[in-house]
Amino acid sequence: MAKGYRQAPGKGGSKKRTDGKRVAGQQDFGVPGSGGSDPYSKLQDLDYVPESVGGWKKQPRGPHVHDRHVTGMTIGKPVPLVDSNWKITGQAHYGDDIRLPGELIGKILRSPHHYAKILSIDTSAAEAMDGVFAVATGQDSVNKFGVLPVTKDEHAMAQEKVRHVGDLVACVCAIDEATAIEAMNAISVDYEVLPSIHDMEDGLKDSENPIHDRGKYHIGESNVQKRVFQQFGDLEGMKDAPFHHEADWETAGLHHGFTEPHAVVAHWDPSGRLTVWTPQQVPHYLHRGLSAVLDIPMHQINVHRTFVGGGFGGKSDPFPHEMCAAILARKSGRPVRINFDREEVYWINRGRHPSRIQMGVFADDEGRISGIETDALIDGGAFASFGHVTTYYNGVLHTAPYEIGAFNYTGARVWTNKPASGAMRGHGAVNSRCAVEVGIDAVSEQMKVDPMTFRLANLLPPHSRTITGFRVTSTGMRECLAKVREQSGWDEKFRNLPLGKGIGVGCGFFISGSGLPIHWDPENFPHATVHLQCDMDGGVTVHTGAADIGQGSDTAVAQAVSEVLALPLDMIRIRSKESDTAPVDLGSYSSRVTFMNCNAAIKAACELRDKVLKAAWEITGYNPDVLVIGDRRIYYKHDPAIGVSWLEAVHKAQADVGSLIASGAYRTPPMGGIHKGAAAGLAPAYSFSAYVAEVDVDVETGFVKITKAWAAHDCGKALNPLAVKGQIIGSCHMGMGQVLSEEMKYGRNGHLMNPDLLDYKIMSVHEMPDVVPIIVESNDPEGPFGAKEAGEGPLLPILPAVCNAIYDAIGIRIDELPVTPDRLHKRIEKHCRKLGIDDPLELPVPRFEAGPLQQKLVERAKSHAKRDHLRDIQEDRSSYVNGVLFGFDPDKPMSEQKEGWRESVIPTPEDLADPKKRAARAWSHVERRHRGDA
Amino acid sequence: MRMPPFTLHTPENLAQALSLASEMDNFDWVAGGTDLLPNYKWHLNPKPNVISLAKVQELTALSSTVIGAMVRVHDLANSEEIHPLIRETAATIASVMIRRSATVGGNICLDTRCYWFNQTEEWRRSIDWCHKCDCDTGADCRVVPNQNTLCVATYQADLAAAFIALDATIHLASGDGTRSMPFADFFQLDGMTRNVLKLGELVTHVTLPEDSVNWEGGYQKLRLRETWDFPEAGVAAAWKIEDGKIAALRVASTGCESIPGDHSELAEGAIGEWNGKQSIRDLAEGVRKAVKPVSNTYFPPAYRRKMLRVLTRRALSPLEHL
Amino acid sequence: MSIHIRVPMLPGSGKEVWQANVNGEENEHLVESNSILLDVLRDQVGTLGVKRGCDMGTCGCCAVLIDGEPRLSCLCLAKEASGTEITTVEGLADGHHLHPIQQCFAEAGGSQCGFCTPGFLVVSAALLDENPQPSRSEIKCAIEGNLCRCTGYQQIVDAVEMAAAMKRGGTSTPDTTDPKSDPHPLGPDDPSLPPGSSK
Repeated sequence: MAKGYRQAPGKGGSKKRTDGKRVAGQQDFGVPGSGGSDPYSKLQDLDYVPESVGGWKKQPRGPHVHDRHVTGMTIGKPVPLVDSNWKITGQAHYGDDIRLPGELIGKILRSPHHYAKILSIDTSAAEAMDGVFAVATGQDSVNKFGVLPVTKDEHAMAQEKVRHVGDLVACVCAIDEATAIEAMNAISVDYEVLPSIHDMEDGLKDSENPIHDRGKYHIGESNVQKRVFQQFGDLEGMKDAPFHHEADWETAGLHHGFTEPHAVVAHWDPSGRLTVWTPQQVPHYLHRGLSAVLDIPMHQINVHRTFVGGGFGGKSDPFPHEMCAAILARKSGRPVRINFDREEVYWINRGRHPSRIQMGVFADDEGRISGIETDALIDGGAFASFGHVTTYYNGVLHTAPYEIGAFNYTGARVWTNKPASGAMRGHGAVNSRCAVEVGIDAVSEQMKVDPMTFRLANLLPPHSRTITGFRVTSTGMRECLAKVREQSGWDEKFRNLPLGKGIGVGCGFFISGSGLPIHWDPENFPHATVHLQCDMDGGVTVHTGAADIGQGSDTAVAQAVSEVLALPLDMIRIRSKESDTAPVDLGSYSSRVTFMNCNAAIKAACELRDKVLKAAWEITGYNPDVLVIGDRRIYYKHDPAIGVSWLEAVHKAQADVGSLIASGAYRTPPMGGIHKGAAAGLAPAYSFSAYVAEVDVDVETGFVKITKAWAAHDCGKALNPLAVKGQIIGSCHMGMGQVLSEEMKYGRNGHLMNPDLLDYKIMSVHEMPDVVPIIVESNDPEGPFGAKEAGEGPLLPILPAVCNAIYDAIGIRIDELPVTPDRLHKRIEKHCRKLGIDDPLELPVPRFEAGPLQQKLVERAKSHAKRDHLRDIQEDRSSYVNGVLFGFDPDKPMSEQKEGWRESVIPTPEDLADPKKRAARAWSHVERRHRGDA
Repeated sequence: MRMPPFTLHTPENLAQALSLASEMDNFDWVAGGTDLLPNYKWHLNPKPNVISLAKVQELTALSSTVIGAMVRVHDLANSEEIHPLIRETAATIASVMIRRSATVGGNICLDTRCYWFNQTEEWRRSIDWCHKCDCDTGADCRVVPNQNTLCVATYQADLAAAFIALDATIHLASGDGTRSMPFADFFQLDGMTRNVLKLGELVTHVTLPEDSVNWEGGYQKLRLRETWDFPEAGVAAAWKIEDGKIAALRVASTGCESIPGDHSELAEGAIGEWNGKQSIRDLAEGVRKAVKPVSNTYFPPAYRRKMLRVLTRRALSPLEHL
Repeated sequence: MSIHIRVPMLPGSGKEVWQANVNGEENEHLVESNSILLDVLRDQVGTLGVKRGCDMGTCGCCAVLIDGEPRLSCLCLAKEASGTEITTVEGLADGHHLHPIQQCFAEAGGSQCGFCTPGFLVVSAALLDENPQPSRSEIKCAIEGNLCRCTGYQQIVDAVEMAAAMKRGGTSTPDTTDPKSDPHPLGPDDPSLPPGSSK
């Protein structure tokens, strides 16, 4: 088995080629619940696990591994977040609320140039100032770091070049803020300004001075940071499809807009250990980064996550200012606090990539989606951040929820002299998903088919394998669509509303935890670990590294433990803040926490429970088989009067086995293909969602008001419906902002024009429509109590739903985000001119007349609904393979498949011939090491 | 964000305030602080002295015809005796939290705004400053380059349009005495000079004509969000109906140029042969033509200009059937 | 080439005595003439529940009650709040009894990351003092100056409605220090006690 960080492919599969490569379409998967070498499903031994209060319940969608752990204590009940009382009393301490005695204030000197060489830095005047304790520059740490091990391209402060306005040049710490600012201004820097690039297409060209130099791995002399090519399925068939919609999308960059600006406090304690307090989504990456930058072993560092005032992906990179604080604290010998001004938050950015996406959606005369063709060029800004992954996500996350005949993706990410883009809620999937869903809407209009029906007739069933090899376990897509259709009154409203009023639908699909732990081999280390500790007081302390960023991960983990142990939530204490006490965890990104940490927590809780049940056996004389664990009591199944209290059992267990501790870990099952990039987008489960939005469009001004949204999200199982609803509504808010108002505006000479909350237009309470959150529970076989993610997926569908509703209202197809009034007004004017209409109030509205395919698709949707239901409840969970609808035979090797069916991740010149495709141009450069030059 | 150092003076009455002012040659007045303090936080032309008018009781008069400069916008928006047009306009200003601090005088004297000016010191350093806040570098205008005379920063106060539409009079005071003028005359076409206030002079109050109670009107505002945002364009219209006919009509715009626009001559001219919708359309077109926004706020100038036409039409829509 | 034309931060402004009643407690501090109330509250009074979000009057995270009225502390000169009564989020609860608005924010999901929560709470508390039965649109108008990035506002409006009903009903919130779950829920006379055990 090849080691590395690629997923172990085809494990458990029987049909393997002798050369070790997987035969396409012939992959089997491990049994549900198996989790690597030490699967938690071992605990599913039905003879041993005692029946709990909730007991074995027949599930509408078939059995689920955690059914037997349900006690009915907390799972599925709306519970306030366990830390909410800190927040509502003002006692939750965020980054800037950490105040240590003797603290110094740190300030960062930033680049005033887009791109420049640093010729010299003179800090002597600053250092000589009264009250200044330390000054640091790039010379103080030359080590690189970066969130992904493959693309480390950041430094604490600029080494020889600054790469965007706001890039870090030097930092100072002083007795107070005024002195620190004065000292910062006293640092003199000489620059040699270099020609900067701002347009992402310029990044594809050769440059005299590429923004980064990756040595022999550099792609030509260009600013291409990453390029991806993937072709799967029957591309010829796709091109011949009678119905197709092609659009060229331009989407603006976004910022997460969290309310808490970044802040950090660093302190080296008397024993020489460094503690860093910071609102981090992923403390562990920072832990690694600090160790590299400061040249000290990781055990010498304690990363203390404070309360996080909103993350959304924007606090998941290790940040240079965190390094600066640690460096300054080391040099000055005093604690150093750095608190960002709002503008600095935009300079560090890591928001959604500005992108240009060419999207083609194809459908054949059977009403099947014969292919999706995407070319995505994304603007990465000055650093790599998560961009490697984003480049994949812009394509590979199209491959569900629909069964498609072909998938053709070219993607590229370029460096430009802007603040770095990175991961933001719905990472990489949002813009391109919007383009796909609008394309689907347009294609169904061409076919004269209701877009709801079109979608329902083309869904992948539960337990399928997507065209690129993702393993989809549960899916509630069909139910999501059915619910929003019914509740929104879709059938009466679609194409029936007057001018200016419209209704639209959109779907989404998102990973529930990235299957790949990017810093280590999943063969060796688990994704998540949870330790439990129970002492004489009877309460249970949970140690986890899951970072609660407000989404409620502490609550979810507490709920999982509380459910298994049948203890009230107030007896569960979460310790998730310090790397000193928390097991290593990948933190809060890729919507992984509920799935992975709760699974680990369940496993740990089961272990603890077994110890306590054994003790109860000793006391009561009844075998755990017949014991029931209830609310703080363990009692005989047939006579509840016979039993022991939780505390007694705990004390007995302690007397018998000593300390009462338990540990659980989660690792993803082996899955996925072996092609280059197969691991990108792999997840142990996927969430699905479907939204319907209604809009009012003012045709005279171009203003769009969303009046109501019905938002159905399949989260597997709502562990805490209150939190899930909050995530759905909150996602809608953020998505509506992206579709209608939010953008990072760059001025004509490349400056970010709106780095503040007044001009970066986040929706206010007045723009927010009534959102009807609809929870759909598909009961994932491997999710904790059936749960999947609910934090990011719910953002995706609102964008296309609004775009499609705008079309329904005024007949204009959107291909540019955000749809600000000025942009839409321009489109309306153009549209009027095209139609020869003077007054936009006389615009014609699209109407719907069902074509011959409609009835056919209605029937196919019906039969697929039956198929899906059967697949849900049957024991056999082998994969349905994408392509069967198109005549693909998963049992045959690739060479015997119908003509045209292919799998390729290495482009040929013909594949890239289309001159219109932007990202494809990234292949015009040859990687330096393959160039043959010295 | 760190405030630049200054000394705050808090005179107890108008006489004290004016005499303090006459002793200083470099100071700013502060009323509610919702304009001045953000600008100071961004180090936009801070002064070593700031005189607060918070305690000056003489400036808080409020009646149907007299509105003191220190009346809070929130109170103005919620005061029953105030003209509905003024109330309506006041209620659209920024957010309720800002309105609770902001004052009428502060809104009238709002500093002009520009994408290249309303930025932090760090940001402005990265564009080598601009001439509205050039730090003595002699920097050029960043909106309309190669001219260093006129500042084109935009005046984005809502109340001015309503006051002009109602033919209000503005009253000023300084150590040298008081003076009054029609509201529109208060402004001077330049984003830096902004208005006729001399050093040491302040706005004391605004008066409305006695018969303003007989006037009706409406205010239309272009902004992306229904709170927080400054007007990207705003149109106030006021009219008096006598015997079922328009006896007087005044229209004013704001948020498009360095000063508010008074289009009353245009409006008066239209009354004579009033022809409902058509007259409104013509008038709206006239307003559009009269105003030339530049590219220095959120929306592009071409759009703002076109919207001026729509806003004017909407503000005048009650007159459609006359 | 470097440019050093910056507004000087030093020497700082002169200091004066500042006095205010914050959450029922008399406070006296020496503050600079140019001080902003938000800074004084956070750095000198120590009410860190007052949050700095944008510092420019947009986000509303810094809202406090000055003499009962919600105000943005980031746009308030400290000196002008001298002599007033200031209530921050820390002053809302009555001892260990939460204010109804606090209780309801937790129960209705009005708080996710919690950073904007203090601002929303004081603004909503003031609304309920003024208007015991606000409509949803009145609530929206009252909180229009506060920015929340997590919740999409809906559950915040729910929470304010809930709190209004709670306040009107005169229900008091439970004492947060009341005993929590007993890990040993069996009394000595409980027949369910297994042989040999006692509390």
